[in-house]
Amino acid sequence: MKKQSFILILTALLALSVVLAGCGSANNKKGGNSAAAEPAATTADNGANPTAEAEKPTEITIMLPLNTSETPPDTIKAELEKLTNTKLNYQFFPADTYEEKLNTAFATGSLPQVTYLKNQTTFIQMKEAIKDGQFWEIGPYLSEFPNLNKLKPEILNNTKVEGKLYSLYIGRPLARQGIIYRKDWADKLGLSAPANVDELFEMAKAFTEQDPDGNGQKDTIGIADRNELVYGAFKTVSAWFGTPNNWGEKDGQLLPEFMFPQYIDTMDFFKKLRDNGYINQDFAATSKTDAVNMFTSGKAGLYIGGSMQDIDSLNKDLIKNVPDAVLDTHSMVAGPDGKFAQWMIPGYNNIILFPKSAVKDEAELKKILAFFDKMMTPEVANLMYWGIEGTHYTVVEGKAKAADNKELIEREVKPFKDSVIGEPETNGMYESYNTLPGRIHAEELIKENVKVGVPDPTAALDSQTYAEKGVELQQLITDATYQYIYGQIDKAGFEKAIEQWKSRGGSKIIEEYNAAR
Amino acid sequence: MRDATAPSSLAPKLPPPERRTKAAQLRKRLWRNKWLYVMLLPGVLYFIIFKYLPMYGLIISFQDYKPYNGIRGSEWVGLEHFQRLFTEPDFMMILKNTVILFALNLFIYFPVPIILALMLNELRGNFFKRLFQTFVYLPHFMSWVIIVSITYVMVTMDGGIINELLVYFGFEKINFLLNPDWFRPMYILQVIWREAGWGTIIYLAGMAAIDPGLYEAARMDGAGRMRQVWHITLPSIRGVIITLFILKIGHVLDLGFEHVYLLLNSMNRQVAEIIDTYVYTAGLRQGQYSYSTAIGFFKSVIGLILVMLVNKLSKKFGEEGVY
Repeated sequence: MKKQSFILILTALLALSVVLAGCGSANNKKGGNSAAAEPAATTADNGANPTAEAEKPTEITIMLPLNTSETPPDTIKAELEKLTNTKLNYQFFPADTYEEKLNTAFATGSLPQVTYLKNQTTFIQMKEAIKDGQFWEIGPYLSEFPNLNKLKPEILNNTKVEGKLYSLYIGRPLARQGIIYRKDWADKLGLSAPANVDELFEMAKAFTEQDPDGNGQKDTIGIADRNELVYGAFKTVSAWFGTPNNWGEKDGQLLPEFMFPQYIDTMDFFKKLRDNGYINQDFAATSKTDAVNMFTSGKAGLYIGGSMQDIDSLNKDLIKNVPDAVLDTHSMVAGPDGKFAQWMIPGYNNIILFPKSAVKDEAELKKILAFFDKMMTPEVANLMYWGIEGTHYTVVEGKAKAADNKELIEREVKPFKDSVIGEPETNGMYESYNTLPGRIHAEELIKENVKVGVPDPTAALDSQTYAEKGVELQQLITDATYQYIYGQIDKAGFEKAIEQWKSRGGSKIIEEYNAAR
Repeated sequence: MRDATAPSSLAPKLPPPERRTKAAQLRKRLWRNKWLYVMLLPGVLYFIIFKYLPMYGLIISFQDYKPYNGIRGSEWVGLEHFQRLFTEPDFMMILKNTVILFALNLFIYFPVPIILALMLNELRGNFFKRLFQTFVYLPHFMSWVIIVSITYVMVTMDGGIINELLVYFGFEKINFLLNPDWFRPMYILQVIWREAGWGTIIYLAGMAAIDPGLYEAARMDGAGRMRQVWHITLPSIRGVIITLFILKIGHVLDLGFEHVYLLLNSMNRQVAEIIDTYVYTAGLRQGQYSYSTAIGFFKSVIGLILVMLVNKLSKKFGEEGVY
């Protein structure tokens, strides 16, 4: 074992010196910017031996979550390797159990050179290890890579640990959430898009009681929701009610959202919806698939969730069942005080780390960063995000129009799509060309959302206790929230859950976040 | 750990002492039976590599284990994690839930395959027997995800067939999925649905080995069907039942993580959170390696104690134990 790794290092060093030597004879045809970056990496070795050979491909092992049901074929990977002169070893693991995989790989010291996390929560859990120096700090190198240098500083700031940058981020629009609803039903019943939360309630009511599908039976419901407070309807609606985003300020102190009266108002709103039957009765036990089915089978009229961009896939399935259905999106719903608000994610949905256990030295790190630098050129970003032009997408009016064969895209492109760093503004990839009016509307709304966006004030802050117990503690509140909505506990019961949260570590979290400010 | 029953030694009684030393005798005996020992080797290796060596990892339950420090480098904290476990406000609830589900498994599920096997055994006509057998086996090959999903579709309040029927016959809708009172019945019904048919296999095999002469003799003496079952079939498979019972106890706290996790939701956590699901949340998702190892350790110790107890009991009643 020991001997093997020694040989591995030797080979890596050897390969490296060849590359460094070859550097002088600028042999980069594509993405010339990375060639500009590399000479900076060569200081000591430069000019030692001028025997220039063709640059050997860098071997990189990458571990990342897979959001589709099977690992993709090599179509995209082969192209990618050609464009970036690398030999890539992609290790896909199902997203559902990715935390488990990540923790086990970490515990056994077998994280690969490039490690994708899953989301913010996994990032917070890794923070302790990051502070301990288990991962490369990449901040100082970023300026050497012109494309990586374009990454948005405000988002990079959100991913810093103790003021230092260790990661690259996968960008997402700040606020994609909103309502997807049956426009044909609303038109039929003479309703317009809900301007405030009361109208939203009325719409759910009308969709339930006034037989919008016109079959003479009372067999429809207003909202199809699922067992998820954040990416289901709850958090989005809570923001409309004026609840802060995870944490908010009260009397100069940071406090968690559930200590604000607006959170209670939102729970009351959902309680009323459920008591009256305007939302599916079993939503606390309904999976995403089941909620989506309820909507696409034409049973429910409102779908409130994490992304209005889902309208494309919802529409595709809905018109199979109800051919004349029309969908639209909406997000500007005013709270009881008449104000608009949308919760925002910190601009990324995942980050990438570089474990020191796998990346042996600075030179190796730079080569890996060079790969990501190339990933941020339009050519490579488009390949990974959209696929191969002509097969997976076509360019229309300077935007990418996805091919009709959705299954092919799902199989071959989607797994890579979720791993592209940056966002269209920074990596120059095509925006999406949309034909569905509801989707075009959604894109406009996403831009509008940000104007009234509420950031999470703790995004860049640190709490040891949260990293250790946050998930467990949040469960207490999540449970209490559902129990309140279902009438199993009352306000006093909810207060009791908050007290429990505090005594089991919550108070410490509050302290730590306020101290970190 | 609970499977760690060491293979029994083959050593026969020592012959009366002769000139040779004991060591030499032993060597000779080993040599004589060398092929037996060679055949034994893979089994022994299996237990050493997969059951005993991993126990080394239990050390981390006494440490503040940090993966990057390794087992050698991590700080020693003694019983801190066990202390935390036993003082955890939810500990009693989780333990109680685990024990109740286990009891349900033992007293409600366990007899079902026996009854089913007896019924199958009494069926006339091979065709029906085979057909029926195949039908009851089938659910075993479906994963829990499928079983739970089918249940969801059947019992949901939003158009599930069972609730629709209840309304049709003039009853109130029942919230099977979220009402904590319904969690345990749903759990055990699903266990029976999926496993009962499969569980009959061993009993049926045991019944097939019964000498038909016994039945004939009983019939001659005028015994009816029920008498035959009671006096011949059941006593004949008693050994099988007891062995399976002990093995079942050995899996005392293995209630099927996947199954319970799928049924678990915010409304029924009070009755549905069991040790396995708790380890998953606290250990694997939150990355508290030492703490979850401590919980797993605790669980194994209980399993071991129970197996030893039941084994002792069964020997007392004159049956063979598993060791």
